[in-house]
Amino acid sequence: MTAVPAVRLTDLRKSFGPLEVLKGVSLEAHEGDVVSILGSSGSGKSTMLRCINMLATPDGGEVAIRGEVIGLTPTRHGMRPADRLQVDRMRSQIGMVFQSFNLWSHMTVLENVIEAPIHVQKRPRAEAVAEAEAILAKVGIADKRNHYPAHLSGGQQQRAAIARALAQRPKVMLFDEPTSALDPELVGEVLRVMRSLAEEGRTMLVVTHEMGFARDVSNKVVFLHKGVVEAQGAPGEVFTNSTSERFRQFLAG
Amino acid sequence: MDFAFLYDTLLTLLPGVPLTLKLAFSAVALGAVLALGLAMMRLSGLRALDWPARVYVFLFRSTPLLVQIFLIYYGLGQFREVRTSWLWPFLREPYWCAVLALTLNTAAYASEIFRGGLLAVPHGQVEAARAAGMSRGLLFRRIVLPVAIRQALPAYGSELILMIKATALASIITLMEVTGLAAKLIAETYRAIEVFIVAGSIYLVLNFVVTRLVLAAERRLTPHLRPAPVAILNDGGAA
Amino acid sequence: MTIAVALTGFVFGSLIGTLGAWAKIGGGALARGVADAYTTVLRGIPDLLVIYLFYFGSSAVLTPIGRFFGAEGFVSLPGFLAGALAIGVVSGAYFTEVFRGAYNTVSRGELEAATATGMTRLLRFRRIVVPLTLRFALPGLGNVWQQVLKESALISVTGLVEILRQSQIAAGSTRQPFTFFMAAAVLYLVISTASGWSLSRAEAHFTRGLRRA
Repeated sequence: MTAVPAVRLTDLRKSFGPLEVLKGVSLEAHEGDVVSILGSSGSGKSTMLRCINMLATPDGGEVAIRGEVIGLTPTRHGMRPADRLQVDRMRSQIGMVFQSFNLWSHMTVLENVIEAPIHVQKRPRAEAVAEAEAILAKVGIADKRNHYPAHLSGGQQQRAAIARALAQRPKVMLFDEPTSALDPELVGEVLRVMRSLAEEGRTMLVVTHEMGFARDVSNKVVFLHKGVVEAQGAPGEVFTNSTSERFRQFLAG
Repeated sequence: MDFAFLYDTLLTLLPGVPLTLKLAFSAVALGAVLALGLAMMRLSGLRALDWPARVYVFLFRSTPLLVQIFLIYYGLGQFREVRTSWLWPFLREPYWCAVLALTLNTAAYASEIFRGGLLAVPHGQVEAARAAGMSRGLLFRRIVLPVAIRQALPAYGSELILMIKATALASIITLMEVTGLAAKLIAETYRAIEVFIVAGSIYLVLNFVVTRLVLAAERRLTPHLRPAPVAILNDGGAA
Repeated sequence: MTIAVALTGFVFGSLIGTLGAWAKIGGGALARGVADAYTTVLRGIPDLLVIYLFYFGSSAVLTPIGRFFGAEGFVSLPGFLAGALAIGVVSGAYFTEVFRGAYNTVSRGELEAATATGMTRLLRFRRIVVPLTLRFALPGLGNVWQQVLKESALISVTGLVEILRQSQIAAGSTRQPFTFFMAAAVLYLVISTASGWSLSRAEAHFTRGLRRA
């Protein structure tokens, strides 16, 4: 474990109009951590994740990736990134997997996976293709590489999206409810891929409703309630003897 | 900007407005009747009716209106049969030629709009009417037509505006409606920009009024799409 | 000739439409206002009037400039250019709406995914926004093209020799106007059917991956 955390959030605040979604959230994820972020809908967990790569701009607080603080300048309505280039560079090192896959529908699976390596990271095409094929084989959809996303099942699409994120050679991976849009019988294949990534020692922050994943795979659980961290710690402690009444209610409900 | 000239231009062009409106409304009214017939032919399910309507719509939609106007105004006179028929007193007149061309043209477009509206009538509502024992005629008049008109109204509104714009082409066969007067004025004064501003404003006002009327009609005809009044909601009757 | 005028106008129009759609989607209040005014005005005014403006109005603007540079008499745009410009300005309003509508159909998630990989705005526009928007815009663009094709007939009014003008001249000299205008109509029919056919081919090509197989 290194001294500098891979992701550090300090007193993060975010409002949408009059609605205060994040009321000062702090969190640290170190290299190799797998952090499960739990909470009922409206608890601010997705917003928090999206603040990490500035898809949502925080109104206050600080985001640091591997020690580098992302500069924010105040505007009339809140904040905006001070340096767009810094944000673009930081984003290219963070892989994101969305609830609704968000694969680019005009590109085949392979084209989706090599898009960012070639055009954002300017890597040679041959190298990107070779690496993409290896990644697709790893997530188990090598045979689908020339299919368009619309022709795949939800589980295959999500695995393609994970491959797309992996191809960025990310330092950190963000998962925003990666199994919530899937039919129940397809959840397993996606969770298996995520578990194998965790075993490789990748740094992952996962917003999820999958208690099994949180309990068995992650080494840290964060429970968000109404915009504040209500409980956090190793899954063993948090799940068995959390002092938070709300977390016990959440588990029961 | 020379306001005196703009004012003079307005006074010169305004007398063209009645002719523009007359052309547009005669064509729209006659065209609607023809269009309804065409739409029924297309939906009849009989090939002998469906195909002629299809061909008609295809021909009139894929050739320029200007060509259609020329064909009728200059072209028909080529045939002696036409020149000696009882129709000739009409077909000799540019006004009637323009009305005829505009009517035939709008009928092609409007028939597709009507057809779309008729197709959009939910099958269940038709079935419910049949179950209530309505005759075919009654069913069409009381259920299908009202629903179809509501569906077709927005598209038909755009067609009305296109027709008002299309009347400008009548100026090419010597009719002195707004654009005809504008062209004449441009030729006399060489002040195309000022004349354009005034003539354009006249059309914008006309189309603005038409848009408003269509919107008002839409509101009247679609009370079920408006938010329900609060009082009824509280009674629990609207849900 | 018809096709040349129509094509040139179409290209002008698509450029204007791109600008217009950009102004309506991402522009400031001023740009949006200008674009709104442009589409409202152009959709409410007869195309013939716009053609008159370019054909006759251009000399009003160009003649003083020409004088300044020592030219004598009237300076005006050649009929071809005036016509193509007019068609471009008219169709630009339709393009604006087609592009805007298509952009709104593009899934926000796909755009967000592009942002999340660290694409710059320009790269995202080029690689993701344009191809996706074009794909949804294609049917609309087909309609605009058919419209432009028919509008090119109006250019005959400004004295450009194209299909219609030719048949008018021929009709005048042979006294068989019906036959000649009919020929003109048939020619338009052929061109528009042919382009309709190639458009549906193009659509099939560009929308691959859009539907389930």
